[in-house]
Amino acid sequence: MTVISSVKQSIATLKSIEAQLSELALLSQEEAAQRTFHDMMLVMEEIQKDLHDRQVEMELEEPQYKNS
Amino acid sequence: MPEYASIFTRAIIFFIVLIVLTRVLGKKQISEISFFEYVSGITIGSIAGEVIMGLDSSIGHGVLAITVFALITLLVDIISLKSKKFRDLVEGKRTIIIKDGKIMEDNLKKEKYSISEIDSLLRQKDVFNMADVEFAILEPKGDLSVLLKKENRPLTPKDMNMKVANDKAPQTIIMDGTIINDAMAAAGKDRNWLHTELDKLGITLENVFLGQVDSYGGLTVDVYDDKLNVPTPQVRPLLMAMLKKCQADLELFALETQSDKAKAMYNKNAKRLENAIDTLKPYLNG
Repeated sequence: MTVISSVKQSIATLKSIEAQLSELALLSQEEAAQRTFHDMMLVMEEIQKDLHDRQVEMELEEPQYKNS
Repeated sequence: MPEYASIFTRAIIFFIVLIVLTRVLGKKQISEISFFEYVSGITIGSIAGEVIMGLDSSIGHGVLAITVFALITLLVDIISLKSKKFRDLVEGKRTIIIKDGKIMEDNLKKEKYSISEIDSLLRQKDVFNMADVEFAILEPKGDLSVLLKKENRPLTPKDMNMKVANDKAPQTIIMDGTIINDAMAAAGKDRNWLHTELDKLGITLENVFLGQVDSYGGLTVDVYDDKLNVPTPQVRPLLMAMLKKCQADLELFALETQSDKAKAMYNKNAKRLENAIDTLKPYLNG
């Protein structure tokens, strides 16, 4: 597996984590829990963005892996 | 009227009277916090018994006696609410038995408790060694309340400086296959959500004996068919595992990459995820 596909996989995992956190934020009864889940959801989004930027960078450097 | 018919009607009448009176007097009577409540409970009961069996006395007099006694009890309860002095008089005061780890012999004598009786009360509180007790109080009801020395008290997360998430009481939303609407509202869930969750578990509503929802929205069910295995909610532990995997991956990328800029970016985000894991730990474990 190439590095770029691993990074793509991580982005997908982060997306899934973000979705689950958002679900928990909606379903939780405790306000503190809701807030924590929501805050962490935003953190996941930022990390995703960084990884996505890196993915685009890698695709520019090595276009032959673009479709892997 | 033959005697058995008379006893039959009396029993039914007093059954109803007693139900009404116990509703009026409320829970306080059962808890028997003070000696007065203990005695008044017995008195009300024995008046009823007396009138049911004693065929000479009239039903009206019996009902009157019971009502008066219940009213007095109620009145005492109401006055005790207002006045502390009256409360102390009727309900009695607590007595300190052990203070700073030392037994107060004078107080013991005043309450006419022997040391072996105190020993027995302590044992009922799982205290076998008197040296473990910092403070003990004899309640008006006759119970002993015990405060152990700090070192002998059960360890709590607070003692360990552990962060734990507070959670709300679980709501029982399904009983005997019927949805409890009040509990659903309290949990902030609707029927659509419930049906989706039940579909996920692969069971029908009629099959559920008991269904509870915890403070994270996880549904736990018990089904009639005990051979059926229902999975317990695993969402949160799984999410934690995913977070940890992702964090490890990012650290791996940081080690593998040649570019310094990318390395810094990966390390920064790995750190961020680590912090997120720490913050979420109390909520996602257990």
